Amino acid sequence: MADQPKSIEDLSPKERKELEEKLKNMSPEEIADLQKQQCIFCQIVQGKVPSKKVYEDDTCIAILDIQPATKGHLLLIPKEHYAIMPQVPDEVLQHLFKTSKRLSQALLRGLKVGGTSIFMANGQAAGQRALHFMIHLIPRKDGDKIIEDTETLIERSMQEKVRIAVQDKILSLMGVEKQTTLEDIKEEVGEDSDDGDEPEETQDTESSDSDSEEPETEEEPEESEEDDDTEEETKDEDVSLDDIANLFK
Amino acid sequence: MKCEYCDLLDKNEDIIHADDDIVIAVKDKVTTSGQITVYPRKHYPIMEMVPEDILNKCVSAAKNVSIAVFESLGAQGTNILVRNGLSAGQSVPHFGIEVIPRREEDKLNLEWQGKQIMEDEMEMTFQALEEDLKKPSIAESKEEIVVDEGETEATLEKEGDNYLLKSLKRIP
Repeated sequence: MADQPKSIEDLSPKERKELEEKLKNMSPEEIADLQKQQCIFCQIVQGKVPSKKVYEDDTCIAILDIQPATKGHLLLIPKEHYAIMPQVPDEVLQHLFKTSKRLSQALLRGLKVGGTSIFMANGQAAGQRALHFMIHLIPRKDGDKIIEDTETLIERSMQEKVRIAVQDKILSLMGVEKQTTLEDIKEEVGEDSDDGDEPEETQDTESSDSDSEEPETEEEPEESEEDDDTEEETKDEDVSLDDIANLFK
Repeated sequence: MKCEYCDLLDKNEDIIHADDDIVIAVKDKVTTSGQITVYPRKHYPIMEMVPEDILNKCVSAAKNVSIAVFESLGAQGTNILVRNGLSAGQSVPHFGIEVIPRREEDKLNLEWQGKQIMEDEMEMTFQALEEDLKKPSIAESKEEIVVDEGETEATLEKEGDNYLLKSLKRIP
């Protein structure tokens, strides 16, 4: 993982103390400014610190990590300084993910790896080192054990506990009315399971057309509409996303 | 093969929110307890296949979840993780964003060992990525990649559809 602003690390205890004193007397804005000045990633964004930049637009840059977890490890960095994800405006965050999608593809296709870990850390407890929010894109290969992210099973009662603890807060943040019972959710979820053909825009936003649910229809594979894209089996050498997706089968 | 995420919707007990596009749920298989997963209702195996509007909704939701776990679960930090592909530890072929609450003492170690990479290797990687980024994204224009083999404009126009149709066929 890349670096903290060196300037702070290099301070002597005495200098550090002076800085702490100074910080106490500063307004939040001044502190924010100082953070930006100290932030190595802000300096990278401004080009004051050299980097291997693979991508840039108005909102963000992507650079190669100088101490990568694996070859091709990218840091996607918003140009504006945000410390953690909750501070990042939705549009910016969405743009970052959209860009991640493209960059991840470049890793899969360009470096021919088998997967990518897209990773963010918010807060020191989460292993965050730099005070500049960023997205790590880490190329992965089978069994590389780069991140010990093994999954374990938890009890149903624990799931329930977690849900109860967070549900109200999440729904209020999303501005969603709480579904009164689980049955409500179930019904809503059951409804429009099978509008198959165009996964994108076709969401009939409010599918309240009186019909009740059609059970389980979503299980049918949509064989019927394959006809018009026979040329899809591309014979090029690139690692195709489909290969990666198909590994699951 | 049945997809567990599509399946979760049948069981329901641990669903925090679900609408036409996204689901927020507490899964039974987690990195650490307290983990909350945001995923699209529809079945997209990996991130590259998720349409932009759906991805946007997932992202906003994940941010809200991340805020909520600080307050409601007393988390001191969060990790946001997308396991994209089998090699990245993805166990269910259904894209999802995991919000993992963290505490100082949780003993979870999601960090990695940074490596030193030789200059020339770095340069090669850089060039490979730069090269790929010049190409059109597969999601936007699946067929442009095969154009050399003589595709017509007509097929190019359908490219977005074709791509998505293809991913659709993988619905188990």
